[in-house]
Amino acid sequence: MVLMEYSELEILIVRIREISGFDFSGYARPSLLRRASRYLTTHKMDFPQLLVHIEQGGNVVYGLIQELTVNYSEMFRDADFFMKVKTEVFTYLESYPTLRFWVAGCATGEEAYSLAIFLKEAGFLNRSLIYATDLSNKALTAAREGIFTLGNVRTFSENYLAAGGKHSLSDYYHVAYNKAAMLPELRRNIVFSMHDLTGDGVFNEFQFISCRNVMIYFTLELRQKVFRLLYDSLSMLGFLCLGKRETLRYSGLEDNFKVIDTTLNIYQKIK
Amino acid sequence: MSTAKDNDSLRLVLVGGSSGSFAIFEEIIRLVRNPLSVALIFVLHRGKSSTAVLPEIFKNKTNVAMSEPYHLDPIEANSIYFAYPDYHLLIGSDRRFYYDCTDKDFFSRPSIDATFISAAVSGIPVKAAMLFSGSSADGALGMKTLAEKGFPTYVQNPAEAESPRMPEQALLACEKHQVLAGGNLFSIINDILQ
Repeated sequence: MVLMEYSELEILIVRIREISGFDFSGYARPSLLRRASRYLTTHKMDFPQLLVHIEQGGNVVYGLIQELTVNYSEMFRDADFFMKVKTEVFTYLESYPTLRFWVAGCATGEEAYSLAIFLKEAGFLNRSLIYATDLSNKALTAAREGIFTLGNVRTFSENYLAAGGKHSLSDYYHVAYNKAAMLPELRRNIVFSMHDLTGDGVFNEFQFISCRNVMIYFTLELRQKVFRLLYDSLSMLGFLCLGKRETLRYSGLEDNFKVIDTTLNIYQKIK
Repeated sequence: MSTAKDNDSLRLVLVGGSSGSFAIFEEIIRLVRNPLSVALIFVLHRGKSSTAVLPEIFKNKTNVAMSEPYHLDPIEANSIYFAYPDYHLLIGSDRRFYYDCTDKDFFSRPSIDATFISAAVSGIPVKAAMLFSGSSADGALGMKTLAEKGFPTYVQNPAEAESPRMPEQALLACEKHQVLAGGNLFSIINDILQ
């Protein structure tokens, strides 16, 4: 393992910005340092070599940015969360004639497919649209394909059942060449598109936004800005879902939300 | 809220372990006296579906505040913290906790390396780091990094560990660690915590 120091990370942030225009200055340093160290390790180089390496620009820098921003994701991650969404949030949303969901920072699409499956089981997928956005084109391409390894799908299936899925997850995918491909009918109501939470603005109004384990990668200041974007994108009484270890604290919007579930971090916009 | 003065004097004690470490953690917590001059941070390998809330389990052992912290919570002295399942717990140089869900280290999230390495580069003084029983090589790199930064590091005698691999790997990776063995184990820990 090759370890980097914070002073080196700051140099790297400046060089990436100069070469590509991509700005990591609003990214939380502890996690970024861990990712950058992993990049050095997997690419078998030290920090001076990395600086020379990225001078090539183009795909090299693009690849580095991908690796520093890619998010880990799972279908039905936190089964208790999905159970709660189904029992409390969906019950509330049921009365709406049309519904818009936003999975902000969707990575390779797992959360969007999970939502689609539960919406289908609840009987209102047809009047729902799920916008799933990420800043990584590579992740979005994978998300649109909706193909997952069987190893991962085993975990997803366990999660699905623990979350109270009505059937078997295998009802929602085909197996071919040792991979699981999600059924096209689930995709029909999902729009995968590029959106950078740190720079792009409001593009629609939603009744439900899931942004779980995404803002943990931003600094306190940038996080406040993204919180404001999510707040502005929510309709009144819309729901905001955060990751299990996140809170509204330090967001500046603590009073604008009602807590639906403290442990599972589900909030409702009330003003 | 802690004052700037408190923050300036913040020091960490880090404890890592996996299978066979639980009883030792329990004993360490029993040794804690209020007020505790350091922030005591435990990283125990746990499955992602672990529902055990460690502060609940240990609540009768000490009257020092215990928590599984939230993202961005300030790190404070006289507090005991536990890493949460399915996330890496990182120490920020701004004396806050940061969560991360990137890849597992040695099939573990939380990983001991993640927390220990982040502490080593955080600029916050580490009074001691300790590594106990476990069956993977997690922790070895974190302990080495801390030792090379000049912080005191202690490793359980592998011969006395329920699962010797983790302490063994740490000792193989770095010669600077002190070995905690038999009779002196808890008396040394007791000295560190006072």
